Amino acid sequence: MSVRSALPSALDFDAVDLGRRGFLAVVTIGSLLGLGALGVVFPGSIFGTLLEVIFAKGTIGSALRRSTPIVLAAIGGIFAEKSGVINIGLEGLLIISAFTAIYAMELSNNLWVAFFVAVVASTVLALLFAVVCIEFRADQIIAGLAVWLIALGLAPFASQVIYGAPNTDTVRTPPGMNEVLEGLPVVGDAISTLGGLVGDTLTFVGGLPVVGGLFHASVVVVVGALVEADVGVYLMFLMVALSWYLLYRTRFGRWVRASGENPKALDTAGVSVTRVRYAAVLLSGVFSGMGGAALSLSLGQFTGNGQTMVNGKGFIAIVAYLFGNYNPVGAFFSTLLFGGLDAVQTNLQNVDIGVPSPLVRVIPFVMVIVVLALVGRTRIPSAAGEHYESGEE
Amino acid sequence: MSVGDRVRDRARSALERLVAASATERALISFASLVLAVVIGTVIVLVGGRMTTCETAAFYLGHPRPFGFPQLFRIGFCYDPVLVFDRLFIGALGDPLKRGWGPFTPFTGGPINPFRAGYDPLNAQMANTLKETTILVFTGLSVALAFRAGIFNIGTQGQMLVGGLATAVSVLWVSSLVSGLVGTLALIPLGLLVGALFGGLYGAVPGALKAYADANEVITTIMLNFVATGVILYLVRDVFKDPDSFANQTVPLPDYALFPSLVFPSTSNFSIAALAFAVVCVFALYYLLTRTAYGYDIRTSGIQPAAAEYGGVDAKRTIVTSMSLSGALAGLGGAVYVLMVLGNYQTGVPAYGFDGITVAILAGNNPLGVGFAAFLFGILKSGTLVVQFSTDVPPQLVGVLRGLIILFVAMPEFFRLIGRRVLPAEPDRPGGTAVATDGGREPDPAAHQDAAASGGEDR
Repeated sequence: MSVRSALPSALDFDAVDLGRRGFLAVVTIGSLLGLGALGVVFPGSIFGTLLEVIFAKGTIGSALRRSTPIVLAAIGGIFAEKSGVINIGLEGLLIISAFTAIYAMELSNNLWVAFFVAVVASTVLALLFAVVCIEFRADQIIAGLAVWLIALGLAPFASQVIYGAPNTDTVRTPPGMNEVLEGLPVVGDAISTLGGLVGDTLTFVGGLPVVGGLFHASVVVVVGALVEADVGVYLMFLMVALSWYLLYRTRFGRWVRASGENPKALDTAGVSVTRVRYAAVLLSGVFSGMGGAALSLSLGQFTGNGQTMVNGKGFIAIVAYLFGNYNPVGAFFSTLLFGGLDAVQTNLQNVDIGVPSPLVRVIPFVMVIVVLALVGRTRIPSAAGEHYESGEE
Repeated sequence: MSVGDRVRDRARSALERLVAASATERALISFASLVLAVVIGTVIVLVGGRMTTCETAAFYLGHPRPFGFPQLFRIGFCYDPVLVFDRLFIGALGDPLKRGWGPFTPFTGGPINPFRAGYDPLNAQMANTLKETTILVFTGLSVALAFRAGIFNIGTQGQMLVGGLATAVSVLWVSSLVSGLVGTLALIPLGLLVGALFGGLYGAVPGALKAYADANEVITTIMLNFVATGVILYLVRDVFKDPDSFANQTVPLPDYALFPSLVFPSTSNFSIAALAFAVVCVFALYYLLTRTAYGYDIRTSGIQPAAAEYGGVDAKRTIVTSMSLSGALAGLGGAVYVLMVLGNYQTGVPAYGFDGITVAILAGNNPLGVGFAAFLFGILKSGTLVVQFSTDVPPQLVGVLRGLIILFVAMPEFFRLIGRRVLPAEPDRPGGTAVATDGGREPDPAAHQDAAASGGEDR
């Protein structure tokens, strides 16, 4: 009996896993729909309030904005871990890039430069992590922790040196998508005409009784949130699609996955495991750098008190990709769930529902624990966390 | 002799050899890491000193001037790295050394006595250092114990908070029943017990989730930290709040319920009795891990779970009990923090739990090492205040140093590589292990031989 349970249940895990995951998704959507129905039927009850908060215009926009850095860091984490290097230092990469983005923005006053510099800074730190893990065979978890701690000290230190305080000065924030489009010569005019027309139609449909309410909730709010979202959100959409393609539809993606699952086979096939892992870890730096830049640039300031403005987003990113089963799209949806919960709880704090706000604030974290307990462990790549030594040297 | 017993015996002898061989190496690596971190910290201070602006430079670097050679150029820096590290390490102990560090200036006359005249080891700064050390011993032991069982407990912070609040509330309830010396003798053990109990229960949650629901403990413990912070904020703000205070804190405990300060100044919030208790815990945990059957179960589960189970260890139960014990140690830290430092419970407890991770890593998860590592980090924490007070260098530097130390400790191979360059290679050296999250798994012998072989070719 002990032998049986000692064997890793990796073989039968995949099948069970998908079933459980699917089941959970159905339960989640079902309960959300149920809540929604209750809210529509009893608008005065707590469910009505909840529904109102969820579909308030700000909530979805804020959920998307909150998700951006987490999703980007999660994509980075996916590449690293798929290749066999567990990068727990995503938090540190976010911190360092969030700070450098603001500093570069102030020096150059150019969004692209700021963005680029932040990505470079994060990638350099990721390179350090890669060298330590791959070259010097450090324990990946501890080295990742060190990356976090170094960034946690270094960014406020630099801010203190340059700005005289842990928080930086504020800089210009990037424009929303609507501003970008309206800035374009012909498109801008067309959009404003079209917008007027669409607006009229929407007002008409929205005026209808029950249909109007549902329509308003589903279309107007989502479209509105998308139109007002800043460019960072679109960057996130683009990167989710791109990284999925890279990981599952290209040769490089196949190497990355092989490097984490069966490095020996990859080695035998004549591909250097070390190089693939370096590339994957550097990619985690690139994506996290984008996330950090999107985070601080969208707010126009880096705040470095306590856990800094990143405040655990890197760790939540890890949770997100584990939930998403290492799939960028899955990571996106699980982050959106979490970012949505977070946005809902922030708005709930303004509406009195009889629950004290510190307790409302822990809802997302409790949800993560509950879901994790139900889904159980994700099957991590079999060679993740282990150093690989090529036979021929 | 059953197969299980034989596996046990073999694992035990392998373990003992491993520990004996690697203890010295680990101590050396930890020391080298500290030195390297200080070197890189110096570079960071110098770079920072060039980036900021100041009226007059605090530190100059120039070329040497033998035989009255004129100074052609020199670079000024706003921060003085020597002063920073002097304040950080020596200031934290209350300045035991003479200005200029005595032994390094032997030609100034007089016998070489590095110690400052009139140095009182029982000074306030030393008390502050030992205060930090005391708390860090508990959180460090908490993380180290879980590590040894193969569990990465990042939730020490939350467990400490839960234990601390439980202590503050329970001791307050009971404190009206007793008073005086009897009160001290009754309330402190009670407070410690309650802290350990609640910390242990909060630690058992991620343990049970890992054992029975296969939930990754790294994530659950991080999440439980957030949950603890939120729920405790609610409890302290709305339920147990001191009605006479504007801050979020509980009603202050009477003086007789707190650790007496004894030999150190009473304003220092430090009690040598609490430190003594911490030291007792260090040895108790060492004894538990190395001399008892349960400790053996913990260590084998950490190193080789499959073998442990084959040898008859109930893996699930070991996970839950070791997490409970780890949480109990964290809860003790919270209790001591309440009964020695705060005197009530206040929100905004510093991140001792996270420091506990770094302490445990630096100590190689050895309880005895935790004592030393906690003292080093106690110096760093208390020295931060001295640096802030007496220099312009941002105190966040200490955070960077902490990260660098951990980074270097994590890469023993780096030091071995240097060692192999400098010293002749030993062909048959037992596999020394660095600290690892799996409790120190024995490295793959083949990989090790490869490394040794390539090291040989390098020469």
